[in-house]
Amino acid sequence: MRIVSAVQTWSREILAGWNRFWFQAVDPATLGLIRICTGAMLLYTHLVWGLHLTTFFGRHGWLPTEAVRLLQKDTYAWSYLWWFESPAALWTVHVIALVVFAMLMIGLFSRVVSVLALIATLSYITRAQGSLFGLDQINALLVMYLAVGPSGAAFSVDRWLKSRRAGVPLPVEPSWSANLAIRLIQVHMCIIYLFAGLAKLTGPAWWDGTAMWMALGNLEYQSLDMVWIAQWPLLINLLTHVTVFWEISYSALVWPRSTRPIVLLLAIPLHMGIAICLGMMTFGLIMLVGNMAFVPPEFIRALWPWSAAERGRGGEPAGVVPQTGKAARPAARASGSQR
Amino acid sequence: MLKSPIIKIAMVDSPMSQSSIRQPRAAVRAVLSLLIILHVVAVFLGPFAMPPGNSQLSAVCAQAFQPYVEGLCLANGYRFFAPEPGPSHLIRYEVTLPDGSVKEGMFPDRQQHFPRLLYHRYFMLTEFINTIDDPAAPSDAAKAYARGYAEHLADVYQAKDVKLYLRRHFVPRMLEVERGMRLSDRSLYKERPLYPASQESDANADR
Repeated sequence: MRIVSAVQTWSREILAGWNRFWFQAVDPATLGLIRICTGAMLLYTHLVWGLHLTTFFGRHGWLPTEAVRLLQKDTYAWSYLWWFESPAALWTVHVIALVVFAMLMIGLFSRVVSVLALIATLSYITRAQGSLFGLDQINALLVMYLAVGPSGAAFSVDRWLKSRRAGVPLPVEPSWSANLAIRLIQVHMCIIYLFAGLAKLTGPAWWDGTAMWMALGNLEYQSLDMVWIAQWPLLINLLTHVTVFWEISYSALVWPRSTRPIVLLLAIPLHMGIAICLGMMTFGLIMLVGNMAFVPPEFIRALWPWSAAERGRGGEPAGVVPQTGKAARPAARASGSQR
Repeated sequence: MLKSPIIKIAMVDSPMSQSSIRQPRAAVRAVLSLLIILHVVAVFLGPFAMPPGNSQLSAVCAQAFQPYVEGLCLANGYRFFAPEPGPSHLIRYEVTLPDGSVKEGMFPDRQQHFPRLLYHRYFMLTEFINTIDDPAAPSDAAKAYARGYAEHLADVYQAKDVKLYLRRHFVPRMLEVERGMRLSDRSLYKERPLYPASQESDANADR
């Protein structure tokens, strides 16, 4: 009987932990900031597509319909861009997509545009098969989760309009779906790093410590002359090993509060190193945006200079009142950070 | 503007705030939990079942999630610079113009393709075709891509003929660089015909 009771207690604890992890309401500040950054990155990514739009997607473009469709035969990949080949039609849908991404960035009609942005992003990715890299994968996952949660509930034009209509600053509304979206991003980032690290274990250069040289010494990637580093083989070894250990351990060490700051701080030099030395600023930045999911909303509120408009008078976000008095408790409890 | 603490607390405890603070109902939580589990499994299977080197089990599992994984672009290996950073690839082209003269070019081209993200799009064109192309047994998709690149160049230059060459640029060893070798040393480049299709294998691929 004691075993049965222990199992029941254990099950209840697991269930409570599961519910707390996925469904506890939180301040949507983290999701709001991720929306701004992702929207900006999507806008930039597609503005750059616009520089050579018909050159890539046109009838005689670099990415011919026949080749891409052949590659995607018997798959479920889809894109509305298949319907548009003429320059006028391509430009029309492209400008619409740019407007959608801009609206996502500023948080105007966020609920609708987050779904539209997801559709547009996936369509470009499917159509551009052959010219994609990590940036596109991370763009897609972030916009997918922005469509899950109330991404316009913080730091958005939507919220500003809502407050204006009400005539008073509205309280921050903790939201369980904001937590759900953030949790999904967190779990997805862990899976990405886990497989990025595990895949490296199959390459001898990641074991003998020379892999970082092979990346930094690649002339086509190089955006900063790093040839001098060939004189420092031990430094190259160190950078190589740290990268692998960091990626593999990320999914374990990013959860405990004591190790999380170290893991997140290491993400900055690693991704900015890729950005600055290997010419992939967009990829480096979007990976950092993904890492932002682990930053508690209180931290973002503290840093965000315009956050006062969304706060109450006591310096706390208006819906997240200090833990004094009965009335305050539900809100304070529900605003628990995403830890 | 919030003038009074009473107003502030009243707003905090407004029905709108309270309703959003609550967790969803148990039934909704149950449904969402099931969807979360399925989604996370799909996200995991994306890289886990990514060939080459995937297990038969992972492939069978991935098949069940195929529409979802492919529909949401989750079929990614996330193998950034794995198994290890290798040589990079460029495409050199020769186009025969209507007057019979031959014009040469190369992409990606740092000078021509700006900003960097645009350069990277061109760079991925050449890396991608190297990934899908096996010179010993060219796939239909690889041939279609190479033909597409050639047709694009023919359209741009109104060319009578286009030839493409895949140029592999190896990274010198650290010791070689210490001895003075430059990253652009001629010995680091190897080239093979890409279009029209050739059965020649890349004899220098194992440098």
